[in-house]
Amino acid sequence: MKKVVMYTLSTCPWCMRAKKFFREHDIPFEYIDYDKADRETQQAIREDCLSHGEQMSFPFVKIGDDVVVGYNLNKYAQLLGL
Amino acid sequence: MSSWFYAIGENELIDGGKMPLSLEGNKILLIRQEGVFYAISNKCPHMGCPLSRGILDGHVIKCPCHDWQFDIRDGEFLSAREIKIPVFGTKVSDGRVFVKIYGAVQ
Amino acid sequence: MRSYWVCDGEKMDTGKRKEQLKVMYQRVVDPLGYKFSPDEEIVDFLLEQEVQLEKEKGNPFCPCQGLTGERDHDMKLVCPCIPFHREHYDAMKRCWCGLFVHKSVDDPYELQQISLKDLEESKNKKKKERP
Repeated sequence: MKKVVMYTLSTCPWCMRAKKFFREHDIPFEYIDYDKADRETQQAIREDCLSHGEQMSFPFVKIGDDVVVGYNLNKYAQLLGL
Repeated sequence: MSSWFYAIGENELIDGGKMPLSLEGNKILLIRQEGVFYAISNKCPHMGCPLSRGILDGHVIKCPCHDWQFDIRDGEFLSAREIKIPVFGTKVSDGRVFVKIYGAVQ
Repeated sequence: MRSYWVCDGEKMDTGKRKEQLKVMYQRVVDPLGYKFSPDEEIVDFLLEQEVQLEKEKGNPFCPCQGLTGERDHDMKLVCPCIPFHREHYDAMKRCWCGLFVHKSVDDPYELQQISLKDLEESKNKKKKERP
């Protein structure tokens, strides 16, 4: 199973829906709420987003080596082989 | 229907200066730049902040609240030309500055 | 920065502020060709978040994009942020958080969030396809 890691915001409904999708499909995932993180973590997240050619638009979902920015169930499912 | 209303004396505003005024119920910002008087609405179309507290740089005024920038000559919002602040005509006569207000009868 | 949250010396309740923001936003997005999403539930949720953000941070920021604390960056994320992300949002026919959609959109669930990188790639592809 590919590892799923997400950067999210506590205020973002699409982040909540993305989390719900993974829970409903019994996909374990880790997440960090950018707005609740400490400064150091925030800086690391920002650099990670920029290194992928993205602004900090959430949810930022890493599935294995792939990155999906935004709430896109088809892409999540495709990358996880669901 | 529009009419000219007396605003201020020409010497009351230095070049590069701005002055908020209320004319016929309109909140107006009078600006003097490169010798020319400009009159625009003093309310930012975004959230209504007073542009009189903003920063004037050449012919561009920056709203103090969220940095939206407008051209004082035509009122255009620099980031989206479809959004404009109302602009009023001005004239100087015998050292007196007048502003043209639409919908007002003198 | 002066706070517009305080009105007549009294703190406005969240519901009233949501209504106020709605009126102000409508005036801004209409000339840009956008309207509030027909999904009233998501509109209400997002406005609620914005009011909370305004209470906490002084401005109703986009609830779906990250702030850095740098004024130049963050001011471009005060709602409605459409003017500063026009090409991106026009391509999606919605803003990033989905509070606003193009006027032609009836079903917001037909729309997808497109990442900035994907947008750039599709633009480059189109350029290459042109003779």
